[in-house]
Amino acid sequence: MKGWELGMKRKIMSGMVILIILAAHFCRYMLPYDPFKTNMAEAALPPSSSHWFGTDNLGRDVFSRVLQGSQTSLYAALCVVAVVFLTGTLLGVAAGYLGGWPDAVIGKVIVIFQAFPGFILAVAVAGMLGAGMTNGMISLCAVYWTTYAKLARSLVLQMKDITYIQAAKLCGANRRSIIIRYILPNVISPLVVTAALDVGSVILSMAGLSFLGLGAQRPTAEWGVMMSEARNYIQTAPWIIFFPGLALFLVVTVFNLFGDSVRDGLEKKNG
Amino acid sequence: MNIRQGKYYIKKAGSFLAVLIGITFLSFLLSYLSPGDPVEIMMKKKGGMVSEEVIQQKREELGLDQPMMIQYMKWLSGIAKGNFGISYKSNKPVLTEIKKCLPYTIRLTLLSMILTVLISTPLGILCAKYKDRLLDHLMRFITCIFSSLPSFFLALMLMYFLSLKLKLFPVIAKGNKNGIVMPALVLSLTLASWYIRQVRAIVLKELEKEYIDGLLARGVSERKILFHHVLRNCLTPLVTLLGISFGTMLGGSTIVESIFTWPGVGKMAVDAITSRDYPVIQGYVVWMAGIFLLLNMLVECSYSLMDPRIRRGKEKME
Repeated sequence: MKGWELGMKRKIMSGMVILIILAAHFCRYMLPYDPFKTNMAEAALPPSSSHWFGTDNLGRDVFSRVLQGSQTSLYAALCVVAVVFLTGTLLGVAAGYLGGWPDAVIGKVIVIFQAFPGFILAVAVAGMLGAGMTNGMISLCAVYWTTYAKLARSLVLQMKDITYIQAAKLCGANRRSIIIRYILPNVISPLVVTAALDVGSVILSMAGLSFLGLGAQRPTAEWGVMMSEARNYIQTAPWIIFFPGLALFLVVTVFNLFGDSVRDGLEKKNG
Repeated sequence: MNIRQGKYYIKKAGSFLAVLIGITFLSFLLSYLSPGDPVEIMMKKKGGMVSEEVIQQKREELGLDQPMMIQYMKWLSGIAKGNFGISYKSNKPVLTEIKKCLPYTIRLTLLSMILTVLISTPLGILCAKYKDRLLDHLMRFITCIFSSLPSFFLALMLMYFLSLKLKLFPVIAKGNKNGIVMPALVLSLTLASWYIRQVRAIVLKELEKEYIDGLLARGVSERKILFHHVLRNCLTPLVTLLGISFGTMLGGSTIVESIFTWPGVGKMAVDAITSRDYPVIQGYVVWMAGIFLLLNMLVECSYSLMDPRIRRGKEKME
């Protein structure tokens, strides 16, 4: 792809991501109905002009619930990515820069965490801690932090022997300022790209956990929970499943494409 | 096998054992930190009121009043003998439960693996051959869709269209002859979309090498170059990726198995979580991580089989 095409793609994707985040944040001003109000007289109505996405088995407006669900999913995912980005980077930089026993310990812990198939570790942690949104988020943190720690560690190891770091050391810069002023700015961009690429997959995993009953709980408006609740009505009211699924799919696609465009941009910058 | 190679394998086995112990420790730690008290859960399952004294007695009997490390050592030595504890729910040994469910999951993952390889290897190679042509663009679009599609959404949609509308496959997989088709389809479609892209990237890199020009100059047909020479040289990275994606598949099986009620370990684990059956969850985690670890070690060992350069390189290196 040509340069301007890449730039264009990145602008479009960033715009859509910002749009989604704004919509999720300000969703309460756009809700046509109360997403939690049940109304048995209007249960399981197909999509119509008054209920765009139809109503669910308890008569709640599916459109309002899907919109409300965007907030739940997005906040949770962004929170998880922020936490793993910070902790993973911190641990990885510490391991890489300090070397010695901290490196050995952190390295071993990473290997052990990565020995588990990702989603199984999440299921196990969430299952052991007990179902709930917070525990679901903790379990995803347990899965995702290793990528950042491993990457940060290897990047710092590459940086350590570069001449200007040695020069800074000789000039008497202390450890903290070397890490913050010289190492971090040079290792941060691959980590940011990883974070951008992870948002979509975290949203997907969170919905998966909720679908299994391990994340958000009823009656929370969350896409995974909504689809799980609607499973029994697949034959009579498929729209209750279809619209949350579609929303999840579209949001994940946008975030994945956004991550791709950020990565392509960085690769281009580095030649 | 000479002494050097022997040493190499011993070292590998050593690190395998270390990680295995780490896995068991983490699994133990999880259930140790879990908020529920196993004795209370066990007692409540039987029903009726229990006095504090009885609970205390039971705790001592089970060794739950001892320090954590001692409990862990006891549990670990039990595992070494094949004792994973007793399920709270069914009162049967956890190992029996796992043994009952594991064949189903193995059958499902194997079939999905084969499907994935059959779908994505030829498609990936063709995408690389026709780079930036119609097929490549089409596949890029399709794989982009499938890699963002939640497996449970795909599963429910297939269920709606194939089972309920067209009545091709049964809704409930258990005990049906064709039951395995839909869960396997869901697992492999999601994975294949990722794998096609990987195959494409790896093959493209290989196609840039000089020996391709050499083969072309000698008049070897393109088909033979792609499916004989290139595929063979790409085998090592492809098998490695397959080993990694096996973990994704095991994870995905929890969701897919519970949607289609396929009686594998994934469904067992989800059911165990709902009923707070900690020993079963613990056994499940240890088994899955163990299988995943073993498989990836086998993949690593197979490198020298697939690539003679690695075989010779290892001897020369040391």
